[in-house]
Amino acid sequence: MRNGSGHPKRIDFGSGLVNTVISSKLFREGDIAVLEDLTIIDLTDERGIYGAKLLSDLGANVIRPEPRDGDPLRKRGPLHETNDPDLASLWYAFFASNRRFFSLSLEDENECQALQHLISRADIILRCDNHFTEPVIDTDTLIKENPNSILIDMSSFGKVGPWKDYLAPDLVAGALGGSAATTGDFDTPPLKGFGELNFMVSGAYLAIAALSALYERGESGSGQSASISVHEAIASCLEHVFMFYWYAETLDRKEGKVLPRRGALHWSDAYDVMKTKKGSIMITPTPDFDNQLMWLIEEGVQEDLIDPKYLEPENLRLRVDRSMEILRKWALTKEAEPLFFEAQSRHAPYGWVLPLEELMQNPQLRARSWFREQSIEDQTVECPGAPFRLKREGEEIKLPLAAHVGPNEHKEQLLKEIGWDAK
Amino acid sequence: MSMVGPLSGLKVLDFTHVLAGPFATRILGDMGADVVKINSQTRAIGTQDATHPYYLMWNRNKRALAIDLTTDEGKEIAFELCLKADIVIDNFSVGVLDRWGIGYEKVRQINTDIIYIQMSGMGEGGPWSNFVTYAPTIHALSGLTISTGVPGREDIGLGFSYNDHQAGLHGAFAVLAALEGRRQHGKSQRIDISQFEIGCGFLGPALMDLSVNGNTAGPSANDLPFDQACPHECYRCLSSTADANQTVSGEEWIAIACMNDEHWEKLTNLIGIADWAAIMKLDSVEARLQHKNEINEKIEMWTSQGEAYTLMELCQNAGIPAGVVQNGADLIENDPQLKSSHFFSKLPDTHPDLGEQYLDRLPINFEKYELNDYRRVRVIGEDNEAVMKDWLDRGAEEVKTLEDNEILK
Repeated sequence: MRNGSGHPKRIDFGSGLVNTVISSKLFREGDIAVLEDLTIIDLTDERGIYGAKLLSDLGANVIRPEPRDGDPLRKRGPLHETNDPDLASLWYAFFASNRRFFSLSLEDENECQALQHLISRADIILRCDNHFTEPVIDTDTLIKENPNSILIDMSSFGKVGPWKDYLAPDLVAGALGGSAATTGDFDTPPLKGFGELNFMVSGAYLAIAALSALYERGESGSGQSASISVHEAIASCLEHVFMFYWYAETLDRKEGKVLPRRGALHWSDAYDVMKTKKGSIMITPTPDFDNQLMWLIEEGVQEDLIDPKYLEPENLRLRVDRSMEILRKWALTKEAEPLFFEAQSRHAPYGWVLPLEELMQNPQLRARSWFREQSIEDQTVECPGAPFRLKREGEEIKLPLAAHVGPNEHKEQLLKEIGWDAK
Repeated sequence: MSMVGPLSGLKVLDFTHVLAGPFATRILGDMGADVVKINSQTRAIGTQDATHPYYLMWNRNKRALAIDLTTDEGKEIAFELCLKADIVIDNFSVGVLDRWGIGYEKVRQINTDIIYIQMSGMGEGGPWSNFVTYAPTIHALSGLTISTGVPGREDIGLGFSYNDHQAGLHGAFAVLAALEGRRQHGKSQRIDISQFEIGCGFLGPALMDLSVNGNTAGPSANDLPFDQACPHECYRCLSSTADANQTVSGEEWIAIACMNDEHWEKLTNLIGIADWAAIMKLDSVEARLQHKNEINEKIEMWTSQGEAYTLMELCQNAGIPAGVVQNGADLIENDPQLKSSHFFSKLPDTHPDLGEQYLDRLPINFEKYELNDYRRVRVIGEDNEAVMKDWLDRGAEEVKTLEDNEILK
């Protein structure tokens, strides 16, 4: 425990300028959040926006500047019909949730100064390089003027090195970062994950870096900057890839140091997506091979798996391969949905390849009230919620979800809060 | 043993296993937290075996304390450790820590600002709460499998345990958010993380599209699922080695992503198809998507004659987003960017049984700390004496007795 038996000491930042100057919250009176005393300026693009979302969805006061003629991310699909083109993007409604927007023109000196004022007083600045404000707003200097500030900088490849200026949208980032080489099958090209899964990784690291620096500020009394390379972030999340290279001798696999892409078949060979009479299902005989064998025996399809040779430790791989072979044939006689529930009732970690329509109605998500309602213009939209449920001293904390609004909606309020003369 | 970093001094009691939980605590340990990993000889099987390469990947920068939690005395020691911890984290199914007598409700009565993070597959509550899951299970259930691949196939999905990494990242994030919550409120907190909900969240815009517009997103291969970009594909390059078996080994690929008309124009000039593109009137993305197959053929005619890294350099120098499809060997051996940032290294401390170990470092660079003091994975129980001293002020003799009695085993 730090500082004796109590919780970490609270640093008094002198004027307490952040929390008193920018005090108004996006949420309604009575809403409870986790990070409500935190003010963050969100200068991210698609590479980091998920990190800003993680923070704003826990109640931080996150202000997102936008160009007056519109954030290009407001055009991202999927779209929905609306009278206001600024609110058409469901992508933006999801990823820019719980933000307050501050639109400005870089040619308007007063607006730029107001943004400088906001930045210089924020707890945390999240910034992706090449942000639209860069030509006019010198964030680095502003940060230096406030020693309590935390700046988290994100770039595709870092600030130095031979690839520092390379362009990397998600497809390219995933190719260079190593995720594409593992995804796809022998008869397809390397594939990207759905949407921008690579940037979901870099975004998560952005949020982690911000809160780590915040924790450290609570101890040391001063902020700091930190930087993240999207390229490194992706490479750090490749499960078996480096293990295969570094420990090839121990693993003793015929594939050597690099496992080629091979559909859904897991590196261990013991998990795969299999076809059934109706739908597909991920089947594995692990972690309890005997449990699986008993089930196959009940069904009379065990074939030679009862041969004692499969129990010999040196025949483990043989047992895995033979089990999977039999399971593939067996799955073709089943339907995915009932097979999934039967497996789970036997504590076997099968996974039904759920169609998205089923996901919308999923009883687990519904029971945990995961979907939440988000107001967009005059519509109420079902929106995925946070993956966290929080209790403080046993009391459940409800995470609010504010209405999604246009780029000018919060500007007057924000200027008023900081006592800025809008003229 | 804990390192100097932004989380120095933070005490984390780690009951996690496999990948998701250990990855979360690895991140915390990388940043200087004192992570005490609880394992035991009886639980050390499969990926929990401290000599398994998989274990070696996710458990660096942690101290190893062996406790037999099937014994009453072992449970009592675990309880005492919980009273000293800032963070208790597990990724068991719901309720396991309660059954061991070290659940949140019991511990918070004494350790009043304790933070518990539970990273179960399905989260607490709900009809699927007790379902058993691994990352491939979550991929299948959350929509990640059905949406990743090529149209008409459901058996591709992600080729690695993506969601386990994300669960780890979210676990570390939750710890840090709870620490800030504790700073603000000074109260105990419990965070229940559903790995299933993490996975489903990545389908967020697709689920909203389904809800609002009735559209069901399917696998879109390398195309963008909701927006337009063309060309936007991986292309075969000149193979580095003979590929006699017609397998994917030896293949070289490059990803090229023209995100706007300017990228396309530059690409047509670079590969010498500007006249053809003009005749075909491909100056808009809509037109290009109509002729996607012909465009891809033209590009692959060019890429198949060149070496992937050379082509990438040509593209990037011309302002066209492009990147080699790098595998593990490429990343470790060929990637000059990762070399320049010393992303990979050999651990200085050789493992007594396993020899040299390697690492990919935390991809966060803090201004105040150079996080380059990485520690190797420890043998089960290797830090019994040090941890019992540091956390519970127990002496060496007492620890020896507990080891002899197979409590700390």
